Amino acid sequence: MSDKLSFEFLTRLNEKYKIFSQLINEEEFLKAEGRYHFHFSAKDNLCTIDFQSRAGSRILDGYTPPFDATAVRRLRISGGLLIGKTNMDEFGFGTFCTNSAYGVPRNPFDPDRSCGGSSGGAAATVALLDGHIALAVSTGGSISCPASFCGVIGITPTYGRVSRYGLIDYSNSLDKIGLICRSATDLRTYLPLISGPDSLDPTSCSQPILDLSSSRIKRIGIPKEAMEGISGEVEAAFRKAIEITEEQLSIKVEEVSMSSLRFALPAYYVLATSEASTNLARYCGMRFGIVKDDVNAHFNTFFSEVRSKFFGKEAKRRILLGTYCRRIGFRDRYYLKALSVRQIVKEEYLRIFQDFDLVVMPTMPFIAPRFSDIQKMKPLDMYKADFLTVPPNLVGMPHISLPCGYYHGIPIGFQLVAPHWEERRLLHFAECWESVFEYQFPEVKL
Amino acid sequence: MKIGLEIHLQLPTTSKLFCSCSTSATEPNEAICPTCLGFPGSRPRLNRKALEMGLMIAKRLECRIPDVIWFSRKTYFYPDLPKNFQITQYESPIGVDGKFLFDGKTIRILRVHLEEDPGKIKRVGRVGEELSLIDYNRSGVPLVEIVTAPDLSTPKEARDFTSSLITELRYLIGISDKDEQTVRVDANISVAEERVEVKNILGLRNLERALEFEFVRQSKMLRAGKKIPRETRRYDEERKVTLPAREKEFEEDYGYILEPDLGVFNVGEIAELMAIPETPLMRVERLSREYGIGLSEAKKIVFTSYALADLFEDLYSKYPTSKALSWILDQLAANWSTLEKKMTEDMRNSILTTIGSILSGSISENEGRKMLVSIIKGEEFVGASQELNNQEVTKIICSILNDHPEIISDYKTNKRAANFVIGQVMKVFKGRYSSDEVAKLVINEIERRLSR
Repeated sequence: MSDKLSFEFLTRLNEKYKIFSQLINEEEFLKAEGRYHFHFSAKDNLCTIDFQSRAGSRILDGYTPPFDATAVRRLRISGGLLIGKTNMDEFGFGTFCTNSAYGVPRNPFDPDRSCGGSSGGAAATVALLDGHIALAVSTGGSISCPASFCGVIGITPTYGRVSRYGLIDYSNSLDKIGLICRSATDLRTYLPLISGPDSLDPTSCSQPILDLSSSRIKRIGIPKEAMEGISGEVEAAFRKAIEITEEQLSIKVEEVSMSSLRFALPAYYVLATSEASTNLARYCGMRFGIVKDDVNAHFNTFFSEVRSKFFGKEAKRRILLGTYCRRIGFRDRYYLKALSVRQIVKEEYLRIFQDFDLVVMPTMPFIAPRFSDIQKMKPLDMYKADFLTVPPNLVGMPHISLPCGYYHGIPIGFQLVAPHWEERRLLHFAECWESVFEYQFPEVKL
Repeated sequence: MKIGLEIHLQLPTTSKLFCSCSTSATEPNEAICPTCLGFPGSRPRLNRKALEMGLMIAKRLECRIPDVIWFSRKTYFYPDLPKNFQITQYESPIGVDGKFLFDGKTIRILRVHLEEDPGKIKRVGRVGEELSLIDYNRSGVPLVEIVTAPDLSTPKEARDFTSSLITELRYLIGISDKDEQTVRVDANISVAEERVEVKNILGLRNLERALEFEFVRQSKMLRAGKKIPRETRRYDEERKVTLPAREKEFEEDYGYILEPDLGVFNVGEIAELMAIPETPLMRVERLSREYGIGLSEAKKIVFTSYALADLFEDLYSKYPTSKALSWILDQLAANWSTLEKKMTEDMRNSILTTIGSILSGSISENEGRKMLVSIIKGEEFVGASQELNNQEVTKIICSILNDHPEIISDYKTNKRAANFVIGQVMKVFKGRYSSDEVAKLVINEIERRLSR
């Protein structure tokens, strides 16, 4: 598969779809030709020793880290060739990949539409390149969302399954590295490569071994609250997919109530922005990324100038939101309360998993929107679009988005959630699903 | 006057709190890595040794140690702070509600927590053209912060308290002896109602001075009928005054959140299984309790030397009398520093035997005192009991002269021939008698034999 790849093709693909924020250079590509087992990409917020790692932000322009992220390193030593860093919303802040300082990636099914975010470049690359494996990152749905918009598979493993060493943090208690690919076979091959404890990330060290042996899926629950506010075309495709699941896979699908679902979104935005506002404090033009020559100013003035100039609008919005939630007097009402909401949502999931093997819902409430429609959306409308991808992310449970239908050729996805460390249930379902549903990939014309 | 202290001390680990960089680099920016420079994608990993030292301190200070602890992010912007947040402990310190007994007084310890140190800023160049250089070697070095209740009542007491605390910790975890100069203290002092905080005082001497200055300043204001505003001040070492802190950061809201990269640590069990070595003040308390002596006497002994305290315990367990105590304090404690340098096992034994003989009445106090002075000075004994020993010594002299009859004839032409005998006698009695006394006896005996 990899022998088909040519540097010229990659370059032209990138010119048309803006999927990479940095592509491998020709010399390196030619040197590696025929000497790798597979090609992969890494989202731009994963540190790489030989590519800039800018997380879609101007403030990190020029920054090439002194180390590889563990996930990147593990794929490299397994014979992978890193062909580029995929485009993303700045620091992961976005649902449509329209907040990148390095161009807006186009949806492979319709270039006028978004490929979703924040791992938009990753999902689009997989839709465009057969055999490609994309390392992606999800904080609140940044793998599921673009996977569904681009008609590919996106798996977000359990929090702590994949070492976050070398991941440029958005929200450390929520960030998870996962994979975007085209088939369950790829998942089975590549997920074990990036999983496992890593002493460089203490939160990865208490995981049980990744067991991908077969498991039986008998009952799946649909939270009825998840179906509120779903567009007609998504609902129709989703219902059809459920019908196939019941009839052809002989799995019982039943409606369940999950009353805490609606609290997940606000709790998520409070926690994610609180943590993000501290993570982004380090970007001040002093030690990495943008470093200004003229440092003849009081540090406060200097920091403010750099941050005002080089952070994007959405980054600034989230810093303000997060800082607000952490302030004395608001901390209890927002930050601490959000922590308890997270616990409640988790308990509700666990209760459902006593009776069900998986929980299913549409991945996104609508199909990939046109850029012209996105421009009309207010920030709050954009945040609301994450209401189905956020809940499993908030509680760190593994989930997968699979293509489940097409509306006038535009892909629609559904998302399955499993209990902590039960990635094998997702994989098993994905394998079953592939046997009864055929994925479509766009024709690439350059 | 009420004084409360926040004391920051460096833990003597070989590596930093959250990375494996050395804590003892000499060249600027020599011991740095992505973690202590806050590079994006790097992560903290807790140094277990630092955690154990912190727990040991909390335990020594009789704190309540929670089962589970975690760390927090304290966010503020400053060039020496690589992440622009400091990893510290906020709602979950390693110890709370402890106490420290000191000079018979109980100082309540509100909390003990661990945190990372920022880097160090060095300003170079002429005034007006100053350049700030940053050394990140210190960034990530483990600190322990100990917060007391406002239980101290004078600047002197605050200093003495801090000094004893440092001594304790030196014995407990091997804290550096430079800490008396490098300890960083924030002090709260209220002469009247309102409290004033003096931030960032460096070293014990400055602590006492800063507090004295504040005491005088606040007292003057009160006498003038003024109200003391609640404020944060800093100590100017050069001018020896406290000044209102101009830095805005002191009033900032730090927006604490949990540090998600470190997770939680189950410390309850570790702390429970941990054995605390006996520190000086613990020993003071024990000596006072076990042997029924006063705290101040016990303190004098222990703080003179652990070896003296050992000696005391050996002696006092046999002769538990106030006399034994005064022998230790008056004769030994006073000269201990010179004594300790030349102390041998033999010397220690002879000191013990001598005081034992005095206490049991086998030698007189006067004699005993002289003997001790001699031992301490490393001299021969003087004033030995003449009558008894004359016979003993003479017996030896006679046997030497019998063995070496040539000495008598030699002596006739050369008086120095007696020296051989004197030397032999001194050797036999291992310097127990003064050579003058021995010489007198030797010459007497030779003369006696010559005159026969």
